[in-house]
Amino acid sequence: MTSTMSKQEVLSSTLAALRANLPELKGVLVATADGLPMAQSMNAGTDANRVAAMAATALGLGKRIGDTVGNGVLTEMSVSGTDGQVFFYAAGRGVLAVVAPAGMNLGLLLMEARDAAANIATVL
Amino acid sequence: MRGPLKLVVSGPVGAGKTTFIRALSETAVIDTDVAPSEDIGKDSTTVAFDYGTLHLDGLPLHLYGTPGQDRFDFMWDILCEGALGLVMLVAGDRPQDFPRARGIFEFVTSRHAVPFIVGVTRQDLPRVWEPEDVADYFRLPYAHVVGLNATDPMDGARTLTRLLELVEPQGHSEERAV
Repeated sequence: MTSTMSKQEVLSSTLAALRANLPELKGVLVATADGLPMAQSMNAGTDANRVAAMAATALGLGKRIGDTVGNGVLTEMSVSGTDGQVFFYAAGRGVLAVVAPAGMNLGLLLMEARDAAANIATVL
Repeated sequence: MRGPLKLVVSGPVGAGKTTFIRALSETAVIDTDVAPSEDIGKDSTTVAFDYGTLHLDGLPLHLYGTPGQDRFDFMWDILCEGALGLVMLVAGDRPQDFPRARGIFEFVTSRHAVPFIVGVTRQDLPRVWEPEDVADYFRLPYAHVVGLNATDPMDGARTLTRLLELVEPQGHSEERAV
Protein backbone atom coordinates (compact mmCIF):
# COMPACT_ATOMS: atom_id res chain seq x y z
CA MET A 1 0.00 0.00 0.00
CA THR A 2 2.62 2.46 1.08
CA SER A 3 4.65 2.14 -2.11
CA THR A 4 1.95 3.94 -4.10
CA MET A 5 1.32 6.66 -1.50
CA SER A 6 3.34 9.82 -0.96
CA LYS A 7 5.04 10.40 2.40
CA GLN A 8 2.46 13.03 3.25
CA GLU A 9 -0.41 10.65 2.47
CA VAL A 10 1.05 7.92 4.66
CA LEU A 11 1.62 10.35 7.54
CA SER A 12 -1.87 11.85 7.26
CA SER A 13 -3.66 8.52 6.90
CA THR A 14 -1.68 6.99 9.78
CA LEU A 15 -2.54 9.88 12.08
CA ALA A 16 -6.18 9.84 10.98
CA ALA A 17 -6.40 6.10 11.71
CA LEU A 18 -4.82 6.61 15.13
CA ARG A 19 -7.33 9.35 15.92
CA ALA A 20 -10.23 7.22 14.72
CA ASN A 21 -9.12 4.16 16.70
CA LEU A 22 -8.43 6.17 19.85
CA PRO A 23 -10.95 9.04 19.87
CA GLU A 24 -10.05 10.08 23.44
CA LEU A 25 -6.56 11.21 22.34
CA LYS A 26 -5.85 14.93 22.72
CA GLY A 27 -3.52 15.03 19.77
CA VAL A 28 -1.08 13.23 17.51
CA LEU A 29 1.84 14.67 15.60
CA VAL A 30 4.78 13.64 13.44
CA ALA A 31 7.91 15.79 13.48
CA THR A 32 11.39 15.57 11.98
CA ALA A 33 14.20 14.51 14.32
CA ASP A 34 15.22 18.20 14.41
CA GLY A 35 11.80 19.36 15.53
CA LEU A 36 9.84 20.54 12.50
CA PRO A 37 6.19 19.45 12.24
CA MET A 38 5.37 17.26 9.24
CA ALA A 39 1.79 16.19 9.98
CA GLN A 40 -0.43 16.81 12.94
CA SER A 41 -3.89 16.53 14.40
CA MET A 42 -3.79 18.39 17.70
CA ASN A 43 -6.75 19.61 19.73
CA ALA A 44 -7.27 23.37 19.76
CA GLY A 45 -5.14 25.23 22.26
CA THR A 46 -1.96 23.20 21.74
CA ASP A 47 0.84 24.76 19.71
CA ALA A 48 1.87 22.06 17.24
CA ASN A 49 5.16 23.80 16.41
CA ARG A 50 6.12 23.73 20.07
CA VAL A 51 5.12 20.10 20.54
CA ALA A 52 7.16 19.20 17.42
CA ALA A 53 10.28 20.88 18.81
CA MET A 54 9.75 19.30 22.24
CA ALA A 55 9.24 15.87 20.66
CA ALA A 56 12.66 16.18 19.01
CA THR A 57 14.21 17.34 22.28
CA ALA A 58 12.58 14.49 24.22
CA LEU A 59 13.76 11.89 21.74
CA GLY A 60 17.28 13.35 21.59
CA LEU A 61 17.52 13.37 25.37
CA GLY A 62 15.92 9.92 25.63
CA LYS A 63 18.57 8.51 23.28
CA ARG A 64 21.38 9.86 25.46
CA ILE A 65 19.76 8.58 28.65
CA GLY A 66 19.34 5.18 26.98
CA ASP A 67 22.98 5.20 25.86
CA THR A 68 24.11 5.99 29.40
CA VAL A 69 22.30 3.07 30.97
CA GLY A 70 22.78 0.65 28.06
CA ASN A 71 19.22 0.57 26.76
CA GLY A 72 20.08 -0.22 23.15
CA VAL A 73 18.16 1.52 20.39
CA LEU A 74 15.55 3.99 21.65
CA THR A 75 11.98 3.02 20.79
CA GLU A 76 9.89 5.37 22.91
CA MET A 77 9.85 7.85 25.73
CA SER A 78 6.96 8.99 27.86
CA VAL A 79 6.05 11.89 30.12
CA SER A 80 3.31 11.32 32.68
CA GLY A 81 1.32 13.72 34.83
CA THR A 82 -1.82 13.67 36.96
CA ASP A 83 -4.00 14.67 34.01
CA GLY A 84 -2.41 12.83 31.13
CA GLN A 85 0.53 11.33 29.34
CA VAL A 86 2.59 12.02 26.24
CA PHE A 87 4.36 9.24 24.36
CA PHE A 88 7.17 9.91 21.92
CA TYR A 89 8.07 7.16 19.44
CA ALA A 90 11.15 6.95 17.27
CA ALA A 91 9.79 6.58 13.73
CA GLY A 92 12.56 6.33 11.16
CA ARG A 93 14.13 9.77 10.82
CA GLY A 94 11.14 11.29 12.59
CA VAL A 95 9.25 11.19 15.85
CA LEU A 96 5.59 10.41 16.57
CA ALA A 97 4.01 12.21 19.54
CA VAL A 98 0.79 10.88 21.06
CA VAL A 99 -0.95 13.06 23.66
CA ALA A 100 -3.37 11.14 25.87
CA PRO A 101 -5.67 12.17 28.73
CA ALA A 102 -5.55 10.34 32.07
CA GLY A 103 -7.55 7.15 32.34
CA MET A 104 -7.16 5.89 28.77
CA ASN A 105 -6.91 2.23 27.84
CA LEU A 106 -3.11 2.17 27.79
CA GLY A 107 -2.78 -1.34 26.41
CA LEU A 108 -4.73 -0.38 23.32
CA LEU A 109 -2.93 2.95 23.05
CA LEU A 110 0.54 1.39 23.18
CA MET A 111 -0.37 -1.23 20.58
CA GLU A 112 -1.94 1.27 18.17
CA ALA A 113 0.79 3.87 18.64
CA ARG A 114 3.63 1.38 18.10
CA ASP A 115 1.96 0.16 14.92
CA ALA A 116 1.55 3.76 13.76
CA ALA A 117 5.21 4.50 14.50
CA ALA A 118 6.27 1.42 12.52
CA ASN A 119 4.07 2.52 9.63
CA ILE A 120 5.53 6.03 9.68
CA ALA A 121 9.06 4.61 9.82
CA THR A 122 8.49 2.90 6.46
CA VAL A 123 8.37 6.29 4.69
CA LEU A 124 10.79 8.35 6.84
CA MET B 1 33.43 24.14 49.59
CA ARG B 2 31.54 25.13 46.49
CA GLY B 3 30.07 22.64 44.06
CA PRO B 4 30.75 22.84 40.35
CA LEU B 5 29.76 26.05 38.61
CA LYS B 6 27.09 25.71 35.97
CA LEU B 7 27.78 27.75 32.86
CA VAL B 8 25.56 27.93 29.78
CA VAL B 9 26.83 28.32 26.23
CA SER B 10 24.26 29.79 23.87
CA GLY B 11 24.03 31.60 20.54
CA PRO B 12 22.53 31.21 17.06
CA VAL B 13 22.92 28.21 14.74
CA GLY B 14 26.52 27.80 13.60
CA ALA B 15 28.05 30.09 16.25
CA GLY B 16 30.26 27.23 17.51
CA LYS B 17 28.55 26.19 20.76
CA THR B 18 29.02 22.43 20.37
CA THR B 19 32.55 22.94 19.03
CA PHE B 20 33.40 25.20 21.98
CA ILE B 21 32.26 22.58 24.52
CA ARG B 22 33.99 19.72 22.68
CA ALA B 23 37.26 21.67 22.61
CA LEU B 24 37.12 22.36 26.35
CA SER B 25 35.56 19.32 27.99
CA GLU B 26 37.79 16.91 29.91
CA THR B 27 35.06 14.27 29.84
CA ALA B 28 33.26 12.74 26.86
CA VAL B 29 30.75 15.34 25.71
CA ILE B 30 27.10 14.32 25.89
CA ASP B 31 25.52 15.77 22.78
CA THR B 32 22.10 15.55 21.16
CA ASP B 33 22.99 16.21 17.53
CA VAL B 34 20.68 15.16 14.73
CA ALA B 35 20.81 15.66 10.98
CA PRO B 36 18.97 18.88 10.06
CA SER B 37 15.99 18.52 7.73
CA GLU B 38 16.51 21.99 6.25
CA ASP B 39 19.59 23.75 4.92
CA ILE B 40 21.25 25.44 7.88
CA GLY B 41 24.75 25.43 6.46
CA LYS B 42 26.00 22.36 8.38
CA ASP B 43 25.23 18.69 8.77
CA SER B 44 24.19 18.44 12.40
CA THR B 45 22.18 20.47 14.89
CA THR B 46 21.59 20.26 18.66
CA VAL B 47 18.01 19.43 19.75
CA ALA B 48 18.35 19.19 23.54
CA PHE B 49 21.76 20.18 24.86
CA ASP B 50 25.49 19.50 24.93
CA TYR B 51 27.14 18.78 28.23
CA GLY B 52 30.81 18.77 29.14
CA THR B 53 32.93 19.27 32.24
CA LEU B 54 36.32 20.80 32.92
CA HIS B 55 38.48 22.37 35.60
CA LEU B 56 39.72 25.92 35.29
CA ASP B 57 42.38 26.87 37.85
CA GLY B 58 41.15 23.92 39.95
CA LEU B 59 37.55 25.10 39.80
CA PRO B 60 35.12 22.43 38.51
CA LEU B 61 32.89 23.74 35.73
CA HIS B 62 29.89 22.17 34.06
CA LEU B 63 29.15 23.46 30.56
CA TYR B 64 25.66 23.21 29.08
CA GLY B 65 25.26 24.12 25.42
CA THR B 66 21.82 25.12 24.17
CA PRO B 67 20.20 24.44 20.80
CA GLY B 68 20.59 27.43 18.48
CA GLN B 69 17.27 27.33 16.66
CA ASP B 70 14.46 29.52 17.98
CA ARG B 71 11.91 26.71 18.15
CA PHE B 72 13.96 25.24 21.01
CA ASP B 73 13.70 28.41 23.13
CA PHE B 74 12.17 26.38 25.98
CA MET B 75 15.58 24.72 26.34
CA TRP B 76 17.30 28.12 26.71
CA ASP B 77 15.01 28.75 29.68
CA ILE B 78 15.47 25.28 31.22
CA LEU B 79 19.25 25.24 30.85
CA CYS B 80 19.73 28.75 32.25
CA GLU B 81 17.91 27.80 35.46
CA GLY B 82 20.53 28.07 38.21
CA ALA B 83 23.33 28.99 35.82
CA LEU B 84 26.09 31.19 37.23
CA GLY B 85 27.28 32.47 33.89
CA LEU B 86 26.34 32.67 30.23
CA VAL B 87 28.68 32.49 27.23
CA MET B 88 26.88 33.99 24.25
CA LEU B 89 28.65 32.95 21.07
CA VAL B 90 28.22 34.74 17.74
CA ALA B 91 30.04 33.91 14.50
CA GLY B 92 32.17 36.92 13.63
CA ASP B 93 31.78 36.28 9.89
CA ARG B 94 27.97 36.15 10.06
CA PRO B 95 26.71 39.60 11.04
CA GLN B 96 23.34 38.63 9.54
CA ASP B 97 22.95 36.39 12.64
CA PHE B 98 23.57 39.21 15.14
CA PRO B 99 19.85 40.13 15.48
CA ARG B 100 19.11 36.48 16.24
CA ALA B 101 21.86 36.47 18.88
CA ARG B 102 20.33 39.59 20.37
CA GLY B 103 16.95 37.81 20.46
CA ILE B 104 18.39 34.84 22.36
CA PHE B 105 20.28 37.16 24.69
CA GLU B 106 17.17 39.20 25.51
CA PHE B 107 15.06 36.04 25.95
CA VAL B 108 17.54 34.63 28.48
CA THR B 109 18.47 37.79 30.38
CA SER B 110 14.83 38.86 30.77
CA ARG B 111 14.18 35.59 32.63
CA HIS B 112 17.50 34.95 34.38
CA ALA B 113 19.77 37.62 35.84
CA VAL B 114 22.96 35.85 34.83
CA PRO B 115 26.44 37.33 34.30
CA PHE B 116 27.46 36.94 30.68
CA ILE B 117 30.20 37.27 28.15
CA VAL B 118 29.85 37.53 24.38
CA GLY B 119 32.34 35.43 22.43
CA VAL B 120 32.93 36.39 18.80
CA THR B 121 34.01 33.16 17.08
CA ARG B 122 35.92 32.45 13.87
CA GLN B 123 38.68 34.92 14.68
CA ASP B 124 40.98 32.71 12.59
CA LEU B 125 39.25 33.94 9.43
CA PRO B 126 40.72 36.90 7.53
CA ARG B 127 37.47 38.88 7.23
CA VAL B 128 35.71 38.81 10.58
CA TRP B 129 34.13 41.28 13.01
CA GLU B 130 36.44 42.39 15.81
CA PRO B 131 35.15 41.98 19.39
CA GLU B 132 35.16 45.77 19.84
CA ASP B 133 32.88 46.22 16.83
CA VAL B 134 30.52 43.55 18.13
CA ALA B 135 30.50 45.26 21.56
CA ASP B 136 29.50 48.50 19.82
CA TYR B 137 26.79 46.67 17.86
CA PHE B 138 25.29 45.13 21.02
CA ARG B 139 26.03 48.31 23.05
CA LEU B 140 27.99 46.32 25.60
CA PRO B 141 31.09 47.28 27.62
CA TYR B 142 34.28 46.04 25.89
CA ALA B 143 35.05 43.86 28.95
CA HIS B 144 31.98 41.75 28.10
CA VAL B 145 33.08 40.82 24.58
CA VAL B 146 36.02 38.61 23.59
CA GLY B 147 37.22 37.18 20.29
CA LEU B 148 38.00 33.48 19.99
CA ASN B 149 38.36 30.48 17.78
CA ALA B 150 35.89 27.92 19.19
CA THR B 151 38.10 25.00 18.13
CA ASP B 152 40.99 26.30 20.28
CA PRO B 153 40.87 25.13 23.93
CA MET B 154 43.23 27.95 24.97
CA ASP B 155 40.82 30.51 23.52
CA GLY B 156 37.93 28.74 25.22
CA ALA B 157 39.69 28.75 28.59
CA ARG B 158 40.51 32.45 28.17
CA THR B 159 36.84 33.17 27.42
CA LEU B 160 35.67 31.28 30.52
CA THR B 161 38.31 32.99 32.67
CA ARG B 162 37.02 36.38 31.56
CA LEU B 163 33.45 35.28 32.33
CA LEU B 164 34.46 34.04 35.80
CA GLU B 165 36.09 37.40 36.52
CA LEU B 166 32.68 38.95 35.83
CA VAL B 167 30.85 36.26 37.84
CA GLU B 168 33.00 36.29 40.98
CA PRO B 169 31.94 39.59 42.58
CA GLN B 170 28.26 38.63 42.23
CA GLY B 171 28.94 35.07 43.38
CA HIS B 172 30.36 36.34 46.66
CA SER B 173 27.48 38.71 47.35
CA GLU B 174 24.99 35.90 46.65
CA GLU B 175 26.81 33.65 49.10
CA ARG B 176 26.63 36.31 51.78
CA ALA B 177 22.93 36.77 51.16
CA VAL B 178 22.35 33.03 51.65
